[in-house]
Amino acid sequence: MSTRCSSSNFRRGPSLRDLAVAELDDEALRARADALGLALRVDELRSIAQRLGRAPSLVELYAFDAQWSEHCSYKSSRALLGRLPTEGRDVVLGPAEDAGILHLGEHEGERYGIVIAHESHNHPSQVVPFEGAATGIGGIVRDVLCMGAEVVAVADPLRFGSVDAANAHQRAVARGVVDGVAAYGNAIGVPNLAGDCYFDGEFDDNVLVNVVALGLVKESEIIHSRVPRNGENFVLLLVGKATDASGFGGASFSSVALDAKESQSNKGAVQVPDPFLKNVIMRASYRVFSFLRERGIEVGFKDLGAGGIMGCSAELCSAGGFGAEVDLDTVNVAVDHLLPEVIAVGETQERLLWALPEEIVDEVERIYNEEFSLPQVAQNARAVRIGRATAAQRYQLRHRGELVMDVPIDFLTGSVRDTLPVEAPMPPTMHRKHDLLCERSLDDLFHEILAHRDVCSRAPLYRHYDAVVRGRTVIPRGEADAGVLAPIRGSRLAFALSVDGNPRIGRLDPQRAAEHAVYESVRNVVTVGAEPIGLTDCLNYGSPRDARQYGELVAGVDGLARAARGFGLAFVSGNVSLYNAAPSGHAIPASPIVACLGRLADVSQCVTLPLKEVGSHLYLVGETQRALGGSVIASILALEDEAVPEIDIERIVAEHRFLLAAASEGLLRSAHDISDGGLFVTLAEMSFGCLAARRAPIGVELDGVAGWSGVGLYESVFGEWGGIVVEVAQRDVERFEELAGSLESVRELGSTIAQPLLAFDDSAWEIADLHRSWARPLEELFP
Amino acid sequence: MKARVAVLVFPGTNSEEETRDLLVDCGADARIVHWSEAASLVYYDAFVLPGGFAYEDRIRAGAIAAHDAMLDAVIEGAQAGKYVMGICNGAQILLEAGLAPGTGEIRRPTAAFTRNAQGHFICERVLLRRTVAATRCAIVAALPDDLLIPAWAAHGEGRLAAAPSHIEELEKGDFIVFRYADADGKTDAHLAPQGSALGAAAITNREGNVLAIMPHPERDAWNFNHLDRSEGADPLAPSGGSVLFKSFVTALERL
Repeated sequence: MSTRCSSSNFRRGPSLRDLAVAELDDEALRARADALGLALRVDELRSIAQRLGRAPSLVELYAFDAQWSEHCSYKSSRALLGRLPTEGRDVVLGPAEDAGILHLGEHEGERYGIVIAHESHNHPSQVVPFEGAATGIGGIVRDVLCMGAEVVAVADPLRFGSVDAANAHQRAVARGVVDGVAAYGNAIGVPNLAGDCYFDGEFDDNVLVNVVALGLVKESEIIHSRVPRNGENFVLLLVGKATDASGFGGASFSSVALDAKESQSNKGAVQVPDPFLKNVIMRASYRVFSFLRERGIEVGFKDLGAGGIMGCSAELCSAGGFGAEVDLDTVNVAVDHLLPEVIAVGETQERLLWALPEEIVDEVERIYNEEFSLPQVAQNARAVRIGRATAAQRYQLRHRGELVMDVPIDFLTGSVRDTLPVEAPMPPTMHRKHDLLCERSLDDLFHEILAHRDVCSRAPLYRHYDAVVRGRTVIPRGEADAGVLAPIRGSRLAFALSVDGNPRIGRLDPQRAAEHAVYESVRNVVTVGAEPIGLTDCLNYGSPRDARQYGELVAGVDGLARAARGFGLAFVSGNVSLYNAAPSGHAIPASPIVACLGRLADVSQCVTLPLKEVGSHLYLVGETQRALGGSVIASILALEDEAVPEIDIERIVAEHRFLLAAASEGLLRSAHDISDGGLFVTLAEMSFGCLAARRAPIGVELDGVAGWSGVGLYESVFGEWGGIVVEVAQRDVERFEELAGSLESVRELGSTIAQPLLAFDDSAWEIADLHRSWARPLEELFP
Repeated sequence: MKARVAVLVFPGTNSEEETRDLLVDCGADARIVHWSEAASLVYYDAFVLPGGFAYEDRIRAGAIAAHDAMLDAVIEGAQAGKYVMGICNGAQILLEAGLAPGTGEIRRPTAAFTRNAQGHFICERVLLRRTVAATRCAIVAALPDDLLIPAWAAHGEGRLAAAPSHIEELEKGDFIVFRYADADGKTDAHLAPQGSALGAAAITNREGNVLAIMPHPERDAWNFNHLDRSEGADPLAPSGGSVLFKSFVTALERL
């Protein structure tokens, strides 16, 4: 097929400006491209001009700039992502569209799926924290909505810089991000079910704001992000906010390192959130979903994100094997005289695009514009016809009656790939032969660890978030290791969600950081008694053009793949965020962040964190290790080149199978995993749980280390080697141990006592004192 | 014949479904009525205004919604003795509409649920105790004395504020139907998580047919919302905060 576009059908006119690529040498071309704010490389610019056989128009250049950006094309990572497992028994839809789908279960003969999407909004949040974080939630919610799902939960893994009193800017960024997540999620009425938060000076130039959204869909009613097979001439119906000049250049902006000097100009690339309008669009779309169900019509639906109207319409149509023609003059705009490239690729928020057969367009328009009165809800918001899917394999944009873009659609949306030099990371492999010798007293260290920013209570942060809107929340944040929600009225089916990733490990050992991110998210889900059924990932790294930083990404993907295969789980959705580096070139710690979704066949079997009764036996399920790499105690004692704890997946899988069996028999009164801060922190938090539940605290009597650990005192009580502590009532001990059978990594740790103490050897801590150290530290940051 | 209850949806409302579901589970014929269907409101026996951010909380939470056409029907109904309950944003709307405490003119509020003392949205578990006689407000009449009702405070503007003379009037006239309480049932102003005057969580009007309640009982209303308190029981059965909705439906059945 001829890919050349003869100048005859590409009419020229006053509104059309071209870039004479062929006539400029590399230096001049780079200079012009920079002046135009194009991130496209010189070789990319030349290949575009060559393929088109003419000087590309500015509209075309901005279109390719967005489509070929890292953000849209994954050109540095796509090849790597092929290494991740993406298929499995519970996978309904793998990573191909705006979100993945996992099978939750059946209710009244219907199969239900959970739609899950995971993204980052790092650069926007660094530049304008409130809007950046808010639009992060807004965008991920659309990714779930456009699969035909009802949005039921969000989560927000956050990585902030150093927020000491001296660091006013980082403190303002952290507060702005939390306010933005709260303002958006609370207003649209979707509960914030999970999240985590770390503080580290290495994020000073580049905070991480990852967002996860979950939706509920009947598997028979999934809507795909593509024009259906019979979709020739389907109408493209744009829904939502009037297009303005905001978010122009967002995709390429997120694909370069941030430069403080440009932070002002970068602000133009950030979108403006409108959760009020989104609330109405969501409800109107739910109404459209039920209309489509009645009519049994197959359609396409996609969220407008990177690349705006152009990116969305091109991908929606090409995914269905069609071309597209769009008339920019039909787009509802907020201001007149917008340049065609701004209307085409600007990233105005709160917009979605339908591909619908002609016969139902009027009714869908009526639902949005009249029944839900979008034009009255926000200035010139509405549903409008902007174009159609075409048999011709071209992507064409018209403006003021002129053709301003006319390119082969596969060339625009096809995968571009870079091959880049890799330098493998060198993680510390030092294994101490002896136990840690430490002059600091247990008491002193324990209180310092409880008050550490990575350990202390997150309540001052997440109390800004609505955890319970919609009334279906089973376990809100802070009451167990994973959030749990029962999404279907009249059904006992529930799901659990946890998001994890430890930057202290990331800076030491990129591959193991990825393995631990998978392990911890899976562990948290198992701890509440849910069966893990799938994963998503967001890969936050530095520049792929830096061999060492790119090497961290490669190691991370290998780590995710190894761990996921070991646990028999697939990644159904994900996102790659690169160029998380300062202009100096200094990158963030390798930050693979993983979300794990779990299934509870019967919500009443879910296990919570607070200790339940006096006289219970406490068991440790897991193996202690000497390695302290990446632990809180290692950072407090400044221990260098410590190896990161290993993950014996085969053993852990057996432990998890046992724990899920015990949970299903109701043998686990409470459970909590061992993570940041180690075992002492785990036990203290289980006791604190009673206070939150307004019950008198139940204490813990811990046996001597020799009985349950093969390593030294400090490694045993402060090491972060994973594992889970469970409470088993006296009456259930026999059955519990019978079920454990030959599992060696199940050992009794101690028991629960009536006194509000954590008693160990000859020391005993008042729970109330420990709670004081743990509860307050973040209150000064999030008052 | 079940009582017909309308659950009102304004642009920005976000708690209509769980509110409708709980009313249904408590025995009402409850339906969601959308702002484009305002005309149908006259056919309902009672109104419930659920939580959310009606009209984006522009000006003040509830201020615009209080002037929405749907409120004409609610005001008319309330004045004719129909029962009206507003929860969270719904409570804010009832205060802006002048229906609660109803000590001034219609749409001329004499009190408001305004900005939390901490200046931002808060989401936390709370306990409520009725601090007026069962006969003071028909909607809560079926609740046993001294019962502690679990709920969630989830709002940015939940602090009752009014002129000192009005606050005194509300106290003297037993308008404060629920106050924030501790696990022992003690009520004290400092137990209000957002600094609400008199530790007030809910207020009624003179006639006692209107209830404006700030926290959400419907978010701690089924056993699965609080498994630790409902061990073994059917996780889907109403419990906890649903007692208030049951009392509301009981009051309707007595009409």
